[in-house]
Amino acid sequence: MPPKRFTWYNGIGLTLALIFALFPVLWMISTSFKPSNEWVRQPPVWVSGDATVENYLTVLWPSALLEKRGGLTQYTEGGEQKVAEQTGVGGAVGDILNKSAWQAIWGSVILSVFGTALSIIVGLMAAISIARYRFGGNTTPFFILSGRMFPPIAIAIPFVVMFSDVGATDTYWGLILAYGAVTVPFSTWMLKSFIDDLPKEIEEAAMMDGMSRWGAHLRITLPLIKGGVIATTLFIFILNWSEFLFALILAYTKVSTIPVQLSKYFSATEGLLIGVQAALATVSIVPLVIVGFFIQKHLVRGLTLGAIKR
Amino acid sequence: MSSQGRVAARGFNPNDKKYIGGLLITPIQILLTALLVFPFVLELILSFSEWSPVQGIGLWEAVGAVFTEDLDQGINYSVLITEEPRFLEALGRTALISVTSLVLEFLIGLGLATIFLKAFPAKRVFFTALLTPMMIMPVVVGYTWFMLLQYTGPVNQVIGWIGGSQPELQWLNTGFLAFFAVVITEVWHWTPLFFLILLSGLNAVPQNPIRAATVLGASDWRIFWSVVMPSMKGIIIIAFVIRGMEVIKLFDEIYLLTRGGPGTATETISLYLYKLAFEDFRLAYAGSAGFIVLIITVVLINVMLRPIRYQLLEKR
Repeated sequence: MPPKRFTWYNGIGLTLALIFALFPVLWMISTSFKPSNEWVRQPPVWVSGDATVENYLTVLWPSALLEKRGGLTQYTEGGEQKVAEQTGVGGAVGDILNKSAWQAIWGSVILSVFGTALSIIVGLMAAISIARYRFGGNTTPFFILSGRMFPPIAIAIPFVVMFSDVGATDTYWGLILAYGAVTVPFSTWMLKSFIDDLPKEIEEAAMMDGMSRWGAHLRITLPLIKGGVIATTLFIFILNWSEFLFALILAYTKVSTIPVQLSKYFSATEGLLIGVQAALATVSIVPLVIVGFFIQKHLVRGLTLGAIKR
Repeated sequence: MSSQGRVAARGFNPNDKKYIGGLLITPIQILLTALLVFPFVLELILSFSEWSPVQGIGLWEAVGAVFTEDLDQGINYSVLITEEPRFLEALGRTALISVTSLVLEFLIGLGLATIFLKAFPAKRVFFTALLTPMMIMPVVVGYTWFMLLQYTGPVNQVIGWIGGSQPELQWLNTGFLAFFAVVITEVWHWTPLFFLILLSGLNAVPQNPIRAATVLGASDWRIFWSVVMPSMKGIIIIAFVIRGMEVIKLFDEIYLLTRGGPGTATETISLYLYKLAFEDFRLAYAGSAGFIVLIITVVLINVMLRPIRYQLLEKR
């Protein structure tokens, strides 16, 4: 359509959309700086008058918080009782707070990095096979895609049975395999769309000059789709970083991830640790927003399986 | 040279087309056979048993449970369909949530996309800001809306400002409102994707028919419905299919938001299966429900994919 004039009601619509899109995020960030007595209050506190970083300390550096308070009392039963002598922050919840935030962050990093690597390597090989050799005709791509078609929970029970049979529950390698398998349909399809964009003739020309097929793939195609591979890697990283269900059912104590940790923050005495959760949530979306910003123009391609390339 | 020729003749030429194609596809086939086909078969077997974790959670105990004597092998399925309405209700609810959310996402996304065809200041900044919800992980989305929709949360406060008095809206504890809470959360999260897809579609609409229609005196509305929308058909179908594929899996957000509650008011099929298996530990029963869901969704998605199947495969 030829560009029409921007009217006042367009402006109102846009403003409302902007508020709708950003308010929840801003609220989460604001909550992460609220002291515990402002977490649930009537009327709600929009921006805390005495903002604190204690929620972040609880998540990232509990020992510093402990020192700062001269013994942390907030999350223990029995009111003002001090627990500085204990190794932990205190109590059963203290245990969770103490080890798990970093355990969860490292868990998320390890699983996302290696799960993504597995997904990209396997996906890239499959993508070349499908795009250049049409291996398996039209059936194989849709067989691969069928891994994304049903709710993953529908297959969770046999997963748990299989995983416990080979001792893969609560291990990094088991979850890396699961993460890889869950995201490999996306990486295959997205990489395939990048390879499809590249004329086959370039490879054929290289082979005419005496290069082997392997050489043509590795030294001609791969460097030319480098940008696409990077975009796909970051996209798969986002998916793995957000993965919740498999970590929830296959990880118990030794392995944890940020999404699982987020769903578990509560204390026996104070109920939900709203501010602490908000702090961890804020920390966890930082890499997503940064990565997402960089691959903004590839997001549609990834999420639509390469059908829309812009 | 002669040795190379002999190897090729025996089909071992590493430069052979078929050999490379097959070799490259092998890893994904192994991965998906182990983690997709095998569980699928195992679930089918399990669904005909009355196996419970008490009998041991190993593979052989589970498979062995099918061959227990005096077992009515179809019992799980008949209970699911005829005796416990919760399963069918969850299926219906998932469909209702999916359709409501997708329609809202489409309408809002389309509205925003048409605004972005026009020129206005700081367009790039607005564009990036509007995409933010899409980048945030589902668990955090669920959690954020959990905070916002608290009884004492800002949503109630704002409604109070507009309505004049503090409303008594228990968003997450009232069946009807909890349903809307889930829809709002889903719409917030994924409208940006509809917006992006529809905007790229609108930008690709051919301009000449529009100019022709304008010259012939068609109204804006008429041009939109008769010229723009028809050429957007393919892209709209893609948007719905791709989002439909994801929305029927809806789990993470609801798990944080309401856990399917109150009662079963927001219990989608994923949440129902989770509760059956990991809270009630009725594993064999959950297996049969899972198997039905698997078949339904895979068939449904394949039917939905049909119109765009070749669009997805075709090279451009």
